[in-house]
Amino acid sequence: MDIVIVGSGKVGFSLAEQLVREEHDVTVIDTDEEALRRAGDQLDIMTVRGNGVSTAVLREAGATNADLLVAATSADEVNMVCCLTAKDLGTKYTIARIRNQEYTSSVAELRRNLKIDMAINPENTTAVEISRLLRFPSAANIETFCRGKVELMGFRLQEGDFLVGSPLHSLPVQVKKLSLLFCVVDRGGEVSIPNGSFVPKAGDKLYMIGRPDSLDQFFRQLGRYAPKVRQVFLVGGGKVSVYLANILDKMGIHLKIIEQNEERCRQLSERFPRVTVIRGDGTDSELLESENLTASDAFVALTDRDEDNLIISLYAMQQGIKKVITKCNRQNYAGIVRSLGLDSVISPKFVTASNIVHVVRGLQNSQGSVMNSLHRIAGGGAEAMEFTVGPGTRHLGVPLKDLKLRPGVLLAVIVRKNNIIIPEGSSSLQEGDRVIIIARESGVLDLNDIYASESTAGGAGK
Amino acid sequence: MNIKLVLKLVGRVLLLEAAALALPLAVALLYRETPVPFLLSIAIVAAVGFGLSALPAQPKFFTREGFATVGLIWICTGLVGALPFLFSGWFATPMDAIFESCSGFTTTGSTILPEIEALPKGILFWRAFTHWLGGMGVLVLATAIVPKLGIRSHYLTQAETPGPVFSKLVPKQSQTSKILYTMYFALTALEVVCLKLAGMPLYDALIHSFSTAGTGGFSNRNASVGAYDSVAIDIIITVFMLLFSINFAVYFLILTKKWREALASDELRFFLGVVAGATALLTISNLGVYSGLGESLRYTVFQVAAIISTTGFGTADFVLWPQFSQMILILLMFCGASAGSTGGGMKCSRVLLLLRGIRREVHHITHPRSVEVVKLDGKLVSEATLHSLLVFLGAYVGTIFAAALIISLDGCSFAVSFSAALTCVSNVGPGLEAIGPSGNFAAFSTLSKGVMSLCMIVGRLEIFPILVLLSPSTWRRV
Repeated sequence: MDIVIVGSGKVGFSLAEQLVREEHDVTVIDTDEEALRRAGDQLDIMTVRGNGVSTAVLREAGATNADLLVAATSADEVNMVCCLTAKDLGTKYTIARIRNQEYTSSVAELRRNLKIDMAINPENTTAVEISRLLRFPSAANIETFCRGKVELMGFRLQEGDFLVGSPLHSLPVQVKKLSLLFCVVDRGGEVSIPNGSFVPKAGDKLYMIGRPDSLDQFFRQLGRYAPKVRQVFLVGGGKVSVYLANILDKMGIHLKIIEQNEERCRQLSERFPRVTVIRGDGTDSELLESENLTASDAFVALTDRDEDNLIISLYAMQQGIKKVITKCNRQNYAGIVRSLGLDSVISPKFVTASNIVHVVRGLQNSQGSVMNSLHRIAGGGAEAMEFTVGPGTRHLGVPLKDLKLRPGVLLAVIVRKNNIIIPEGSSSLQEGDRVIIIARESGVLDLNDIYASESTAGGAGK
Repeated sequence: MNIKLVLKLVGRVLLLEAAALALPLAVALLYRETPVPFLLSIAIVAAVGFGLSALPAQPKFFTREGFATVGLIWICTGLVGALPFLFSGWFATPMDAIFESCSGFTTTGSTILPEIEALPKGILFWRAFTHWLGGMGVLVLATAIVPKLGIRSHYLTQAETPGPVFSKLVPKQSQTSKILYTMYFALTALEVVCLKLAGMPLYDALIHSFSTAGTGGFSNRNASVGAYDSVAIDIIITVFMLLFSINFAVYFLILTKKWREALASDELRFFLGVVAGATALLTISNLGVYSGLGESLRYTVFQVAAIISTTGFGTADFVLWPQFSQMILILLMFCGASAGSTGGGMKCSRVLLLLRGIRREVHHITHPRSVEVVKLDGKLVSEATLHSLLVFLGAYVGTIFAAALIISLDGCSFAVSFSAALTCVSNVGPGLEAIGPSGNFAAFSTLSKGVMSLCMIVGRLEIFPILVLLSPSTWRRV
């Protein structure tokens, strides 16, 4: 698709990176030559220098027949006008980043009046993502499919778990009974799809997919079921914190926020009367201890500095907090701390970019492909995709044991009406089913891509 | 420096060149000439290419790898092109063959051959075909047709596409390269048809079209285009020389129906202005040489187009023209064609920006507190771009003088050594006096020919890739 991105900042760049990887034609507009040069040097994109509000600049960037325009500059107003102008020029779909809370409350009218097809708020998106992790504290990552009917969770195995040391096919019966499947394993960065003879080791990160209640049950059996989070400790009182406080407050979770800026503390206190607001330096361990950090069920580090977030998260983990969530925008840092044991690292720009990529997938879907959503898991080493089985899907009704799938591709779950089916050899696909596919490499764009090509199937038969 | 990856990429491009050698092979077979030089060359190039492209390499690729790859590929290309010449036995020394090949790929068009018409048709075809490949660029071709060459492939094409700023036509590099080559191919085909209709034999039409398209200047006739003595052919070639020295982005704008933007290009206007001005001055200046305005105009306009496009075809021996006329031609050699075209020289957009920079400087002296920006096509040109322009000018002129210094060791006159250096760096072809349109470069020493061959590549790649390749800091581990 022809995509124009206005603003080559954190989100803009991250988004361009992901879209280029999916073979889209991307043009980036920015006023800063240096930012454009950096983007143009690293990615196969076209760059246009200028203000995205200007008709001439938009025209030069090809907005007249672009399929999508994403306005992701730092100014909400600029983003809105960009979308309005682009829509007038002929862009088919527009997405604006709108982060100011004063606007978000009236975003529905704004969207209608300014012809913005979708408004995205990185801070809010990040807060939603964090709240999801707090709701399921056992897992390090969670992705949902089919409107929450199916969940995919990742967790790290520890020494002494009953899974460790025995192959998957010899699991106890009560585990086998559950409607779930171990679909991906990440062993020290090496991502693979486990089969029955796979022997898990301590330190592996296992991903399983299935019904939410089955996953819960499994965690109970593992003795890892963390009770619901009731008390959250939050360092940093920026925009994300405000959105998060809003969500958690409604869920009845008690919050303690540490923030340095007095003015912000006052605002927080004014907005959330039930929240305990502490003014002070969140990186000061003395303060954290005196505020009884260890009594909290979860700890979230949301200061503006990645380094601070990582260090205090490590401290909190060391203090024995079960659930530690860290905001970290830099991907390379995230890789380092994952090796130290911090599993729930959230990057707002990545979350935002991924969300937009989902929308792009959806738009493509309406152009013929049948993918509903795509999630990157295991640090980008594998993809989980949801498809709807259409009349054009091949091998409908053929038992899976008679079919040959491409290597590195797993048919993980079939959702038929309200039933969640973990496929066996006798299962088959029917029109109208929704299926979740796990693939180790990207490249599955259509459901028919999962089948091994006829020639290789024949070759394997010999 | 990730030398393995650089060599691997060189290997891939060599394979492409081995495939390109199949075309002259076919021509040689068609004319029942010996295919041995081409078969030998293909075997060697393909063997080396396969060997290099099988190297295991990590995909770490940054600016310096990009520049070094481009420089190395062009030097290897010069050597590859020399193989058929060498095996054919028509070239006295290996250096002569390398000179001819570099002159071909860089679209210079200088030759060391005194008697062109005696050569086999296959060899002459390859000679002209190197112009066509080198004109738009072997790397642009590689990014267009080799799938997944693309580790930051714009580093490669950027260094090969001339001009102060590099911009893609469409977001994807491979797509941009495909569009460029499609337009290039279409224009070349159009010229072949026109020349055929004007009465040129098909073989000659192909040779001259390849030469014009790449703005090279190799002909299969001793007297170049002058051998046909046809007004129609002169006009056709003049028009196409000018067409190929216009930025291809302009054609893309026209194809996408953005007429106004295409015609508003400052560089295009400047280029056409220079052509018109130089033609007018030269026509008047040459009145003494020719009998009447019409004849003077005919030979002058052809020569202006041949020099500013850096093609270097000849219909007249401009060494016999008045000194004033020759000086104007020297200035045109400096200026050269447009950025993003197949031509060489400093490029019109650079000259235009330099002139605007000078105007600003003068204004700044009279009004010391004035703040003024330089624009091109109505768009702001950054100070960094202007700065790099000055550095480029320095490096360009410096290279010419350094080369002239070495060439002067042969004991030739200033006019010869200077014009030889200038014509090589600007990729034009002919120089003054002994190396004029009717002369050739055979008399120079091996050292001079080597320096000139390198100068042609330096000029084609606009200096810096070769300097990067020769700089020790590129190769240091730290």
